[in-house]
Amino acid sequence: MEMEMEIEIEMLLVVREFKRDGRRCQKNPNCIMASKFGMAGGIPERRVRPVWDAIDSRQFKNALKLSTALLAKYPNSSYALALKALILERMGKMEEALSVCINAKDLLYKNDTFLIDDLTLSTLQIVFQRLDHLDMATSCYEYACGKFPNNLELMMGLFNCHVREYSFVKQQQIAIKMYKIAGEERFLLWAVCSIQLQVLCGNGGEKLLQLAEGLLKKHIASHSLHEPEALSVYISLLEQQAKYRDASEILSGNLGSLIMIEVDKLRIQGRLLARAGDFDGAAEIFQKVLKLCPDDWECFHHYLGCLLEDDCSLSILVNSPSIQFDCRISKASDFVENLVKEVANDSLRGPGLANLEIERRKIMYGRVNAEKLMGDLIIYFSRFGHLASFAADVEVFLQTLPSDMKKQLLEKLVKCIDSSSTPSKNVLGQYITFFKIRELIGDTFSLPVEDLVGFAVQMTEMYCQNLTLSKDLDVQESMFGEELLSMTCNVLVQLFWRTKHVGYLLEAIMVLELGLTVRRYVWQYKILLLHLYSYWNAPPLAYERYKSLDVKNILLETVSHHIFPQMLTSSLLLDVDDLLKGYLRFMDDHFKESADLTFLAYRHRNYSKVIEFVQFKERLQRSSQYLTTKIEGSILQLKRKANSIEEVESVLESLNNGSDFLDISSEIRSKKLTFNEDLKLRPWWTPSLDKNYLSGPYEDISYYPRQNLDEAKQVEAKVTSIEKRSLLPRMIYLSTHCASSLIKGNSNINGVDSKDFSELKSLLESYAKLLGFSLPDAVDLLISVSHGQKSFEVFSSNLIDWLNFAVFLNAWNLNSHETNSSEGHTFPINWQVLCCLLEQCISDKITSTKPLLSSPGSDLSILIQLVTEPLSWLVFIVQSCVRSSLPSGKKKKKGCPPDQSNSQLSKGVKDSVSSLFNMIEKVTKWLKEQIDKPVDADIDFLLSSLHIEENNDGPGKVVKILETLVLSVDDLEVGERVNRAIRSWKPVDVARNMVTAQGTTLTEFFSICESKLKVLQTLKHQVQV
Amino acid sequence: MTTIRRFCCDDLLRFSSVNLDHLTETFNMSFYMTYLARWPDYFHVAEAPGNRVMGYIMGKVEGQGESWHGHVTAVTVAPEFRRQQLAKKLMNLLEDISDKIDKAYFVDLFVRASNTPAIKMYEKLDYVIYRRVLRYYSGEEDGLDMRKALSRDVDRKSIIPLKRPVTPDELEYD
Repeated sequence: MEMEMEIEIEMLLVVREFKRDGRRCQKNPNCIMASKFGMAGGIPERRVRPVWDAIDSRQFKNALKLSTALLAKYPNSSYALALKALILERMGKMEEALSVCINAKDLLYKNDTFLIDDLTLSTLQIVFQRLDHLDMATSCYEYACGKFPNNLELMMGLFNCHVREYSFVKQQQIAIKMYKIAGEERFLLWAVCSIQLQVLCGNGGEKLLQLAEGLLKKHIASHSLHEPEALSVYISLLEQQAKYRDASEILSGNLGSLIMIEVDKLRIQGRLLARAGDFDGAAEIFQKVLKLCPDDWECFHHYLGCLLEDDCSLSILVNSPSIQFDCRISKASDFVENLVKEVANDSLRGPGLANLEIERRKIMYGRVNAEKLMGDLIIYFSRFGHLASFAADVEVFLQTLPSDMKKQLLEKLVKCIDSSSTPSKNVLGQYITFFKIRELIGDTFSLPVEDLVGFAVQMTEMYCQNLTLSKDLDVQESMFGEELLSMTCNVLVQLFWRTKHVGYLLEAIMVLELGLTVRRYVWQYKILLLHLYSYWNAPPLAYERYKSLDVKNILLETVSHHIFPQMLTSSLLLDVDDLLKGYLRFMDDHFKESADLTFLAYRHRNYSKVIEFVQFKERLQRSSQYLTTKIEGSILQLKRKANSIEEVESVLESLNNGSDFLDISSEIRSKKLTFNEDLKLRPWWTPSLDKNYLSGPYEDISYYPRQNLDEAKQVEAKVTSIEKRSLLPRMIYLSTHCASSLIKGNSNINGVDSKDFSELKSLLESYAKLLGFSLPDAVDLLISVSHGQKSFEVFSSNLIDWLNFAVFLNAWNLNSHETNSSEGHTFPINWQVLCCLLEQCISDKITSTKPLLSSPGSDLSILIQLVTEPLSWLVFIVQSCVRSSLPSGKKKKKGCPPDQSNSQLSKGVKDSVSSLFNMIEKVTKWLKEQIDKPVDADIDFLLSSLHIEENNDGPGKVVKILETLVLSVDDLEVGERVNRAIRSWKPVDVARNMVTAQGTTLTEFFSICESKLKVLQTLKHQVQV
Repeated sequence: MTTIRRFCCDDLLRFSSVNLDHLTETFNMSFYMTYLARWPDYFHVAEAPGNRVMGYIMGKVEGQGESWHGHVTAVTVAPEFRRQQLAKKLMNLLEDISDKIDKAYFVDLFVRASNTPAIKMYEKLDYVIYRRVLRYYSGEEDGLDMRKALSRDVDRKSIIPLKRPVTPDELEYD
């Protein structure tokens, strides 16, 4: 909530630390330190200080000047050189910095004994690290340690270098050395952690753990342990070897006193006993914890799990048939009953929820008494029903109820609500809970449309009526009843899905926009809106909403899934670029600093955090989003540069001609990707990144769509998709090479080009496999679609992948046409078939996309992808063919006059140029029509979808309530701020923003198409004979 | 129903519903991890059934002599779990650790002078305004340094309010 100055693990901080510390080395008699008092790196401090100050105040030019002067005076000072390297690096002169730093290192090696000090080494280390040369930093320290054996300060520096390089074995070796020299507990623990890391994150065998245990035992025998964290490492070590009994005994012995908080100790004890199979003993311990912390839900679960022997979180196996369920569960009931009496605090949810959990378990074990569970739910509702967390707390119990009872429950709950005439916070809270439960139970999907409209009306009215409750609240505080508008939106979106009437969608947007006008901080509204705007082809508004969420730092990993996929398929290429770069910057920065933070944990003796940090970094490195972003980021660069063959080539070159991603692709399956996106905050209609119910026909997805999703299948689909995309850059590269080499007439069956062809073929095979087909089958399907025997529907959501495939396939196939391929296999695809396929697809999409306002959905984004992907790659391939056909002197001249070299070009290439031109022209024409429509007409069209016809349950009722609110707000006591906000809200503004945002999307797309037309125009000119 | 336990790195991937709230700052990684690496006992998370993150507290212990104190850096509760006295529970936990384990003299925290609801809450938890820090927040808004004495400060000297406001430069600790 309240922040303080940020702590930054930054190099300057380290430099300053040395300044402030008064040169730590001097305090250490073992340290061979050149500097006497007032010396820094062998130079009098007063001479160095101005350089430090200049660096601190970021005056790097001045710092450089000062450091040059310093060097003139101390030409043999490695420290002075290192400082210069540091300044150069800060100025962004990386190469120069590296060369100076290497000089400093060489000088260090040459220098006399007394000039090696920790300050010089750490400065060199910082610069090498920032230049991505950790190995050089390590070798500096290795050299120093070799020169001054047994110097702890230097050894710690070396240990730190190994931490940075994640060299766990070397860490262990140096830590053991330090332990032998100093006999300190901390060094032993450093070694033990390094061993654990070898087993958990490296390829060390589990036997190593025995070694670590032996080391610790020996130390304990002679010195005992003194740090609580050391004890927890010891226990974790034993747990990793399944020595639960031993661990438990140690915790009960003298060492146990190191853990000072009693409940913490008990929790560990309970866990160890349970894992050792002593369920009774564990249950007893968990009882003790519950007496101390009666609200501890996790502990109650463990308690019940031990009693019933079925707690999977403690790896207890399935309960044995011998346990006497009835007897044990009644024991649990008695315990909870006593707990309630002892606690005598009725504000704790714990005991109430515990009763519900007991009833749930009874049902699970066949002691069906749903009536009792429902009764308990109602009791619990009357006590805690007003709390915002109620519905989520009881979610798991609702699932246990048979469906007929769920309806009964709703009827009973509504009777419990004390609906006195005056608005009250508690009553409102209870109603909201009731609505949430209705939503959770999910029977809304089977109710008639009129009922749903009724719900939306009811909730909106309730929001308006209860605004007075919040009249004294600060704008920063959540208002009472804010959830009502989110729930109204949920119902309206369902109505849209059912009826396909866009008026409901517009109403959903209006409701949320009003909510944001009243209080602009409600992130729940923003998330819903960004999805609605994305769906309705208004990505600029979606992006704006996303930006207002202020997603930064680690939230980029968990929250940006809301916007990434839609933006990647939009025409806002610059904004996507910003998004992707911002995310990658965050992740890469963290990977760079993570090891330093791990070392910080070592230094502060918080050993358990050492392991945690390393595992966390690995988790992020294996993030599927991180990988996707890296690949999509590169594809995006290709899309953005697609019009200039030279620029595409330079992008491809920077990607090692696409080969880097091939390596990634082949590693994905062994890497075990992590999925860190927090999907819980997604709207019901799009529970995961690749699913949007609204795009399909209406179906009853009652109750938890999220649970219907097959997780393993989803993971597989994501992995396949990443693999597919990672092949793209290489295929683009190879396709252009293959196609143009044929034009040049230098395709060499036995030479380099032949290698390209066979590599492309093998990639085509892999790609087809990822699409679920063998190469010949994939080609057959493609051909039958191009001949109109099958519709594009067969490609389902992989349309773009298939068309990309077609483009690359054609490029490869040229080889077989023109060289009578030795592989004896040609496919019936050629320029004409390919263009025909693309043309058909574009026409289809144009027809289904328009008019945009009345047809939300993904068609426009597919059209954008068609142009920015397969069409772009094809243009690029054609460009490259044309360039190859030109005499070398003329290659760079744009629009050069036609000459006889064109004869080398096949008719196919020439025809494709005009065909491509026609395709893009068609899209451009359509876009122009859309863009030229008067804005006001579009607004009128949108608003007309809300006009209520008499005796009709169509959209418009909710907006009507909002409009009435605007008109009557003066009569309500809602406070000046809310009053002003509501009066400022106008439906027409919402509609105008929508229309404008769609216009922006179209205009951006238009300019992409126009630039392609220009390129094609030039090509046309070039290929004319 | 609440389980309070030590915060761990994986919780950073689960706290989005808490941190999307505009009053809760999402710091950079080194900030969180420095706290975890140095003061893991001062960083706790509260979980609801279904392992949903309800809120968390982060803090530290620092100072010399009689200034040895616990500090609350951030305490936050998701909107869904407000009005359940969770912030109080988390604060009490940090106070307990400062008092019993680290034997600190007092606990302090900084709050925006305009954040009346928070100030009121801290006052209910027995914190007093010790001093005003001029333009503490980005050089714009004043901060209030609020303190609560712990058992080691028998005479409650640590919380006697200062008569004049101080500037950020005069603060003993960042």
